[in-house]
Amino acid sequence: MSSTAQPPAALWRMHGLLLRSILVVILASVVAGLAAVAYAAYSTSARAHKASRIHLNELLDTVESTLKVACFAKDETLAGELATGLLSNSDVLAVTISSEQTVLANRQRHTALAPESVAARMQLRRVIYSPFNPDKEVGHIVLVPDPQGINARIAEEVRLAALQLTWQLAMVAFAVAAIMLVFIVRPIKAISDRLHSMDPTVGERLPIPRRHAHTEIGQLVRDINQLSDRLVDTLAQEHELLRQRDIDEKKYHAIFDNAESGIFIVDSKGSVSSGDPAFSRLFDIVNSPAEGASASLHLGLLPIAAPDQATDLIATALRQNSSVAQDILIRLQAGQPRWVNIVLSPIGDNLLQGVVHDVTHLKESEASARRLVVTDTLTGQANRSGLLEYLQAQVQAFADSQIDGFALLLVNLDEFKRINEGMGLPAGDEILKTTTTRLASCIKVGDLVARLSADTFGLVLNGITQGDVAEQVAGRVLQAIRQTYFAESVPIQLKASVGITLFPNDGRDVPILLRQAELAMGSAKSGGGNSCVFFDPVLAESAERRRQLETDMRSALRNQEMVLFYQPVVDLQTHRLAGAEALIRWRHPARGLVGPDNFVALAEQTGLIVDIGLFVLDAACRQLRDWRQAGLDYTLSFNVSGRQIPDGLPPAKLREMIHHYGIDPAKLALEITEGVMLQDIDKSLAWLQAVHALGLRIHLDDFGTGYSSLSYLKRFPIDTLKIDQSFVKDMQGTGNERTLVGAILAMASSLGLEVVAEGVELPSHRQALRAMGCHYAQGFLFSRPVPAEQFASVAAQLALMLEVVAAEATVERMLG
Amino acid sequence: MAMRVFKSVIFLTLLQLGFWVSAEPVVVVNARSAVPKLSRDEVINIFLGRYRQLPTGETALPIDQPEGSALRSEFYRKLVNKEPNEINAYWARLIFSGKTAPPKEASSPAEVVSSLLAHPGAIAYLERSQLDARFKVVLEFAP
Repeated sequence: MSSTAQPPAALWRMHGLLLRSILVVILASVVAGLAAVAYAAYSTSARAHKASRIHLNELLDTVESTLKVACFAKDETLAGELATGLLSNSDVLAVTISSEQTVLANRQRHTALAPESVAARMQLRRVIYSPFNPDKEVGHIVLVPDPQGINARIAEEVRLAALQLTWQLAMVAFAVAAIMLVFIVRPIKAISDRLHSMDPTVGERLPIPRRHAHTEIGQLVRDINQLSDRLVDTLAQEHELLRQRDIDEKKYHAIFDNAESGIFIVDSKGSVSSGDPAFSRLFDIVNSPAEGASASLHLGLLPIAAPDQATDLIATALRQNSSVAQDILIRLQAGQPRWVNIVLSPIGDNLLQGVVHDVTHLKESEASARRLVVTDTLTGQANRSGLLEYLQAQVQAFADSQIDGFALLLVNLDEFKRINEGMGLPAGDEILKTTTTRLASCIKVGDLVARLSADTFGLVLNGITQGDVAEQVAGRVLQAIRQTYFAESVPIQLKASVGITLFPNDGRDVPILLRQAELAMGSAKSGGGNSCVFFDPVLAESAERRRQLETDMRSALRNQEMVLFYQPVVDLQTHRLAGAEALIRWRHPARGLVGPDNFVALAEQTGLIVDIGLFVLDAACRQLRDWRQAGLDYTLSFNVSGRQIPDGLPPAKLREMIHHYGIDPAKLALEITEGVMLQDIDKSLAWLQAVHALGLRIHLDDFGTGYSSLSYLKRFPIDTLKIDQSFVKDMQGTGNERTLVGAILAMASSLGLEVVAEGVELPSHRQALRAMGCHYAQGFLFSRPVPAEQFASVAAQLALMLEVVAAEATVERMLG
Repeated sequence: MAMRVFKSVIFLTLLQLGFWVSAEPVVVVNARSAVPKLSRDEVINIFLGRYRQLPTGETALPIDQPEGSALRSEFYRKLVNKEPNEINAYWARLIFSGKTAPPKEASSPAEVVSSLLAHPGAIAYLERSQLDARFKVVLEFAP
């Protein structure tokens, strides 16, 4: 930033501030001086005249009494003397003394000046009154002052004033000049000099002149510096903007040149007037129309699979006057067909701007995603959705009379869960793949194999409407699966259950068909597997019944239709009521009282048994509490299903309930079956031990009907065996059954277990059991299960009966 | 007898009182003079030297009572409200120019009367008690 014109270094310049201000000061001084002198002259004159007048008046006063006399006496001599005397005063030019009629004396100084030339206003005239009568005029005197004397005095005074003013003004001018020089001109000059050599862009700024920090000069310097800051900032921003614009321009060029999207302009007839490199690339145009402006390219000449699409799109865009888009398939001379997306936007004048980009990948991934949804990733076959889609299509085809019908087979591998658990998922996956291959070999071309879930497959056999043909295929399928599998070189035998349903005979709706096939398959499986079952309406009916039962059960729990009945357990040795077994009953609103045989199995299948079990626990605990509060020391047992162990009835829950109701855990017993111990032994054992540790009793129910494994009896914390009622009922005479009961009792005794005999119906049973040393018994002999509210009266009856029994026993003993 | 004595006493007392309290000057001329009445200003002008002419055209001859006379003082007091020394100062200024002269000063009151009778233009002032047929009053001062 260098200045081209160097300023003159001198402080004194023609148009400099200093010279100018001094000139102004002088001019102002002269004007003020002239005004002051003029005023001085005027005021001096006025003062002089006034002073002269006063002086003359005083003069007259001194001679007035004599004047009175002279005028009264008309004494000219005396008047003349007075006039002469007055004239001797230098201020007086002429004196005239007159009586009433005559002039008594008229004297004047001998000068060049005529008294008449003196203005009348300057003359002093005084009336003279009689010395004896102050009201009577006797004459007058006129004094003419001498203006020369006055004027001389005025001139002198004016001269002095002018001289004084001149001095003062000269001093002021000098002071102003000095102040201007020191306080203004020199700092400005310094600032100016510094400004010329200053480069604000490197951060140089003006220093504030000394002692000017708080003056206008200082402020000016600060303002200049702030201005510099702003200018430098603005300059920097400008630079940055320019740079950014440069970059942007390059960027846009790059974007345009390197764009993936083709951009072009086309007219209503389909002539392409310009296009970018990507456009040429996409359509494989060798001579880019952008390069050769004259070469007009027609859209119809582009390698579009359906050339009409482009012209239609143009027409649509122009008609709607809005952007339209379409995916269009193009076939280049080389390579695969490609999909492009063309967007056309009218830009006026019958022209359209087009943007085109390759969407082949998008299309492919879309298709792949669609395929994925209906494909099982493990086997590459259709999944459940795929099967449903296919079935829908087939049903539609039937509706369109294109096919006669088909058979749907569902194939489930029996016990497949064991493979996964025993050998791991990879082995299971291998077997599933092999199964898929085997299934595929069982069907015709055009039929479908699908994998619906882990171990369930579906087959659609087109054109098969007859059961026997379907059954043949099912037989082949069972045969194929029975072939030995090898997983990690281990031979594995598998079986399958097959359910068959026929379209359109069995049903015309896809979900119903699938459900029917599933029912048939379930039926085959529950029949032991390795078989095929056709769908039968009866199956559907029973399934419907089960479904209804399940629904009812759920509402029963909600509506408190489930109740506990209590069957007394009697102590055979002491002839007293020991407690009761709690048994679940369902007070069905329509079907009346329903026993557990009719719903517990389904509750176990559906998992509802967990909720029912919790209800039983709660009710049993409450009953124990009620008894305890009534002072009754009964025990109470209730049944626990294998499905409740271990998670359905966690030990923590048991503990919580015991605490909640404040009952003695030793009075509460859980009845389990041997089946529980056959499931997951480790988990069951851990659960039993935890429950036992709470102080609860464990009863082994239905003992003797199952394995009756002695080792289990040792391993598991069992307190009591309940002999199944079948053994008790058959206990006649000294037969085998009686021996069996005796053996059980002996074994229990040796293992330190207590025994409850169930199903005691006859007095002979009671006697026999008691004789064999059986401790407890329950059965119709004593009481059938009764509701809680009847238990007290039953207990009272029992007490009477047991008293009789006890008495008999005593008699027997005495007799015996 | 007693009555006479009483009358004499009163007379004397009154006399004394009159002498003391006020001389009562009246301006008179010779009874034969044609001068009628005179105004105060005319009397002032004549006695203080402004005009020395009577309305009849005769030259006026003003006559003063002797210096120090109570009547004289009273006359000037009544005429121009001046004290004798002021009247003297007045005359002193005029005497300087010699243009006019003060009234003729009688050496005694009797001379005033004789001068009045002797000069036709004479004008003087007398004690009222001195009046008689020889004189004519031309100006009386209000009491």
